[in-house]
Amino acid sequence: MSQCNCDNPLVPELVQVSHIIEETSDIKTFYVSTMEGKKPFTPQPGQLGMVSLLNIGEGMFSITAQGENHLEFAIKKCGMLTDALHEIKTGQMIGVRGPYGNGFPIEKCLGKDMLFIGGGIGLAPVRSLIKYCFEHRDDFGSIDIVYGARSMADLCFKEDLFEQWPQEHNTKVHVTVDSGDENCPCNIGFVPAFLERINPEPQDKMVVLCGPPVMIKFCLQVLKKMGFTDDQVITTLEMRMKCGVGKCGRCNIGSKFVCLDGPVFTMAELNGLPNEF
Amino acid sequence: MKTITKANMMDAIAILAQDAQVLVPMTVDGISKFSLWGSEGTLAFSAVNTLLPPKDSLFPQTEKMYSYQVENQTITSLDIHNEAKQQIIFGIRPCDMQSIQCMDDVFLTKTFVDDFYRVKREKLITVCIGCNKTAPTCFCESMGGSPAGHGAADIQLCDLGNSYSIVAQTAAGQAVVEKWQGLVRDEEGSVPEVSCTLKVDAQGLPAQLSKMFNHPIWQEVSRKCIGCGTCTYLCPTCYCFDIDVQNNGNEGYRFRCWDSCMFSDYARMAGGHDPRPSKNERIRNRFLHKLEYFNERYGKNLCVGCGRCLTKCPVHVDITLFIDKVKEVSSIESVQL
Ligand SMILES: Cc1cc2nc3c(=O)[nH]c(=O)nc-3n(C[C@H](O)[C@H](O)[C@H](O)COP(=O)(O)OP(=O)(O)OC[C@H]3O[C@@H](n4cnc5c(N)ncnc54)[C@H](O)[C@@H]3O)c2cc1C
Ligand code: SF4
Ligand code: SF4
Ligand code: FES
Repeated sequence: MSQCNCDNPLVPELVQVSHIIEETSDIKTFYVSTMEGKKPFTPQPGQLGMVSLLNIGEGMFSITAQGENHLEFAIKKCGMLTDALHEIKTGQMIGVRGPYGNGFPIEKCLGKDMLFIGGGIGLAPVRSLIKYCFEHRDDFGSIDIVYGARSMADLCFKEDLFEQWPQEHNTKVHVTVDSGDENCPCNIGFVPAFLERINPEPQDKMVVLCGPPVMIKFCLQVLKKMGFTDDQVITTLEMRMKCGVGKCGRCNIGSKFVCLDGPVFTMAELNGLPNEF
Repeated sequence: MKTITKANMMDAIAILAQDAQVLVPMTVDGISKFSLWGSEGTLAFSAVNTLLPPKDSLFPQTEKMYSYQVENQTITSLDIHNEAKQQIIFGIRPCDMQSIQCMDDVFLTKTFVDDFYRVKREKLITVCIGCNKTAPTCFCESMGGSPAGHGAADIQLCDLGNSYSIVAQTAAGQAVVEKWQGLVRDEEGSVPEVSCTLKVDAQGLPAQLSKMFNHPIWQEVSRKCIGCGTCTYLCPTCYCFDIDVQNNGNEGYRFRCWDSCMFSDYARMAGGHDPRPSKNERIRNRFLHKLEYFNERYGKNLCVGCGRCLTKCPVHVDITLFIDKVKEVSSIESVQL
């Protein structure tokens, strides 16, 4: 078997899927390691990896977490590549290249209280920073995690939400679902309304907000009302991507390429770009 | 000045063709383009720029990147295709030379180096011929260039009638000229002055355009466009590409190929969301990329004024008329302010 030359940023490294977790009916988390059982590369929170099934296609995904010897991708089934990824079994060889993108601006968050807001698969990018905060717990103040999905069955990362994260020091996890019955162990309602009820204080706080565009739009209105400024709100963008390295021209917003200069932007930065996302 | 007669030039090219692929302007089946020296077609040195730009030699229209074999769960081989032969583009025009500068910025700078491009670029020698006449659609001067020549070419030639003047501008160019001993002579002469007849005022365009994202001008300029992509395929600087796969059973290859931001599915994402759903947004992106965004990112225009898109757009969408219109709009609007 010939190994790839990874000096070439468009050629994937060959790796294996070492573990698969079924999060919901259409989201699975894939653990990825090198053929020798090592971590393919060490990304910063919020960075991206291009995952490929060589005979089908490539797609860009947030690296939602990493361990000593693996990277994690949480992938929603929604097209050719992602359908095929959902069919694979542990041990499958795939391609991965990266890490790409700017990652979260950790230096802006140091010493601050953190408010994480996620919707659906939008928790995937946010989770990498949440995990970072727990690994460097003393560098951050209080942590609030607000997460919503359509129903109980659609909540991702349930073990983190209900078992791991609530145990952490000075941390609150607030979960909501759009609809559910009286046995539902969490709030019922949309994320923006839930956020309004939680009513976080804006002082010394950074907000990380990712989810479907409507959720982002209404959460921003709520945050504004509470006195958060555009400098305090961080989000991640999605544009269609091919190369991931700022060459193919595909993912531009104005003169920025989301794959290289993003995907993480503060709302203040986005206000300076053409409104094309 | 050093010169070479036109008759000797053919011998000079033949010398270079002994150990490099020499691409020269030719008309093949009615289309002018850069073709391998010695291949079928009519030499077209005397014309202005070719219809097809030479960008294909650095950035092929389709390019195999790597082949693979898959067996059940295992990928049994992955072979990268990035060898390059020594190439010489002989007779590139100044506008197309500038387009190579643009592609160098894209593929060789900003964190990542594109290896497929790099290997070809390192093995490329450029011999530029200055234009001593210009086509009615040439406007390189307005975009910061000059029909007389380009400082980045390895060798700069100028057509003096019966001969060409020769200036080696790099060490690689000097080495080429040394191979022409006996063909080159010293002669008195002067390089004719040339100027483009088509002119636009591109001064201050990036700043003006940065205020016009929501301007009604886009509706107006995109009205006729049929989204055929001719403009981007003929443009020497358009570099957007797609990556796709050709799979047969257990093996196949992944390739990249030119793409066009004028196509309707260019930016469409899984689930159907499209940030540029109509030709209005697509033309806006193309013109802003060329005249504003590229300037902001790399400090130059992504239009070199070659005139190809205005010549061949089937409905006469014309970037020079667009620039004129932007100037008109901004002068009216600044009066109103
Ligand atoms: C910065 C970024 C982070 C992402 N993170 C995640 C994540 O953590 N989890 C997750 O499930 N999804 C994520 N996505 C979306 C994911 O890339 C697409 O869902 C996926 O590429 C769809 O591929 P497909 O072949 O199944 O769909 P198809 O519709 O069959 O795709 C066709 C082509 O379009 C491209 N494409 C389609 N949709 C998108 C899209 N939204 N973004 C970029 N390219 C697209 C694909 O690369 C492919 O070439 C992210 C996208 C971006 C840009
Ligand atoms: S935009 Fe038109 S005139 Fe400008 S470089 Fe491209 S093809 Fe030539
Ligand atoms: S060549 Fe003309 S019609 Fe075709 S996509 Fe370009 S602007 Fe539109
Ligand atoms: S994905 Fe190619 S430029 Fe961003």
